[in-house]
Amino acid sequence: MNQLVSIGTSHHVAPIEFRERLAFSEEQLIESHQYVRESDQIQESVILSTCNRVEVYAVLNSVRTPEAAAKVLAEFLSRCHQIDTESLKKWTYLHHNLETIQHLFRVISSLDSMVVGESQILGQVKDAYDTSRAAGSTGTILNRLFTKAFNVGKRIRSETTITTGAVSISYAAVELAKKIFNTLEGKTVAIIGAGEMSELTAKHLVANGVSNVIVANRTYQRAVKVAEKFKGTPLAYDSDLNFLIDADIVISSTNAPDYLIKRQPLVNIMRKRKHRYMFLIDIAVPRDIEPDVSKLDSAFLYNIDDLEAVVVSNLKDRQQEAIHAEQIVSEEAKRFYDQLQVFQVNPTIKALHQQFRQIADTELQACLYKTTLSDAQEEAIASMTQAIVKKLLHHPMKNLRGAVNDGDADHGQYVQALQELFVLDVNDETPE
Amino acid sequence: MINFLFLLTLLIYLAAGIFQTLSLAIGARTEALMIRPTIEQIAFWCTLIGFAFLTVFIALWWLQQGHFPMTHWTDSTAFFAWAITLIYLIIVRLTHLRTLGSFVMPVAFIAILISYSFATHTAALPEPLQNYWLLAHTTLIFLAYAAFIAAFGFGLMYLIAERKIRRKTDTLFDNLLPSLDTSDVLGYRCAILGVILLTMGVIVGSLWTQYIRDVPWRWLDAKVISTLVTWFIYVGQIGIRQLWGWHGRRAAYATLIGFVAVLCTYVGVDLFLDSMHTYR
Repeated sequence: MNQLVSIGTSHHVAPIEFRERLAFSEEQLIESHQYVRESDQIQESVILSTCNRVEVYAVLNSVRTPEAAAKVLAEFLSRCHQIDTESLKKWTYLHHNLETIQHLFRVISSLDSMVVGESQILGQVKDAYDTSRAAGSTGTILNRLFTKAFNVGKRIRSETTITTGAVSISYAAVELAKKIFNTLEGKTVAIIGAGEMSELTAKHLVANGVSNVIVANRTYQRAVKVAEKFKGTPLAYDSDLNFLIDADIVISSTNAPDYLIKRQPLVNIMRKRKHRYMFLIDIAVPRDIEPDVSKLDSAFLYNIDDLEAVVVSNLKDRQQEAIHAEQIVSEEAKRFYDQLQVFQVNPTIKALHQQFRQIADTELQACLYKTTLSDAQEEAIASMTQAIVKKLLHHPMKNLRGAVNDGDADHGQYVQALQELFVLDVNDETPE
Repeated sequence: MINFLFLLTLLIYLAAGIFQTLSLAIGARTEALMIRPTIEQIAFWCTLIGFAFLTVFIALWWLQQGHFPMTHWTDSTAFFAWAITLIYLIIVRLTHLRTLGSFVMPVAFIAILISYSFATHTAALPEPLQNYWLLAHTTLIFLAYAAFIAAFGFGLMYLIAERKIRRKTDTLFDNLLPSLDTSDVLGYRCAILGVILLTMGVIVGSLWTQYIRDVPWRWLDAKVISTLVTWFIYVGQIGIRQLWGWHGRRAAYATLIGFVAVLCTYVGVDLFLDSMHTYR
């Protein structure tokens, strides 16, 4: 009976120093696929290596206990990376059969990610699987498992809201802008002052369609430096804020001790821009924009705390959603595991049936050859042999299938015993 | 037969109103994620089927009466509901904003309910009024009302969305309402459409008076004055927007005021004032 196992490490259990030692480079991937193909213990494998996790999913042959499986995989990893088994034991986790399925489904659904609901992992797993498949390291079981996993990943993304709602300040700003403006195309963003956060936000806005970037700084050289990154217009300002007339979105993050944008001057600016909406984002501490600005009809002001609150609330929603997603994962994993059991037992059942029928057939032919019987009599004997075969196999098959359906762990031993006792030649690769 | 059809129409409109409201009320909450599209779909189909039934009903009613039915409250409110649905369906076709239905379909349902409660009544139409002038005049006016009601729907959507944005604590989860920009611009366009239709309706109406001498006509008819007030409210709103860029919240409030004016013109005048436009 084949064992489905996985070994891995992730940001949950190991520090970066260990993860980077375990990471697979491209050459190492090729090498290890080579190793897998030559190995008689590892039948199939998929190697997933991202910056947050390194995992090996494998189907092992002729390994009966989880401990033995762990040993095979640990050997494989330490061979690839020259890591002593002690630290492997300390920093990795090991999953077996149902746990493996469950773990993969969780990973692919981003439930195991640093930020629940992130979308990258689906593509990363897909790449890992494609590489392994192209290298010829996957077989029926892992092909089925990963196909199912992609479906589960998609199902969770469409049936829960774990992926919606911005969970970073810069994305929250983009989402808010989309709630105000019909489209971001053709809009202008003005960045006042410099800073990582404001640049990141501007970057996201540009990625979402904003076409003009104005970079304003007290010193012109600095403005030029930042503007280069966005192909924006640099400008130096002192107290004249007239450049805001063209700005639909304003991101302010200066070190000014006082309010830079006050209500009264902004009233005039708003009039000059014909009261088109202005979305002001104040990420400076102390604040750059007078809070009273938000009382203007067409101005929407968010400060760092407001954005933070949006993010926190979205994160909370995602956590809530994750519970729902976990349920789907358990459900799907259990169902797939059951299917896999049946799928794994089927070849044995088929082989046993075939063998019995063949024996009955041979004996029947031999018998009929020796005697002279009427057609009706021949037919009666033929159907009798068929019935005997059926009846003989009835209880063993029923109990075997029952053991599988009950999730009885012993059924692997049943299968093993059947194969050995009846000298069955079971071809695992038989497609359905 | 025709009564049964009307009852059916009423029930379908009730379903449309309920499902439209429901699809907005449950929002984009997680538990609703799976069922919301279904509810929205049901609501939209109810609207389509209801509109088809209502069209058939009005046609049959027309045949039975022998002239365009526009004499009794039952005629007028049914036609009102028909116009609201038509304008709504056109807007959905152009913008795919089905959410608007959550605001206008309940209004259409109430109109049908009023119509149904008078359903057995008929009233004779004076001979001199039986002509295509009546059809053109009332159709234009009712389509104008319907456009104003759509503008009102967009105004409400704007105010709700703006409130959510300004309150800040609200999560960004419910993306059912269009962006402020969208609601604002579409509300404005609906108001313009309404003004054009109303202007045409009034012109047709006043030309019509040149042809009928037998019915006494007075310029100081309550309905005429009230209509002019409504017209000024919308034209004023459009003008101020063009001149001083008033939009957003102020424009949204203006659509609400306009909505009240429409209701006063349509219902209020009939109930409390004397007018030659009165439905019986």
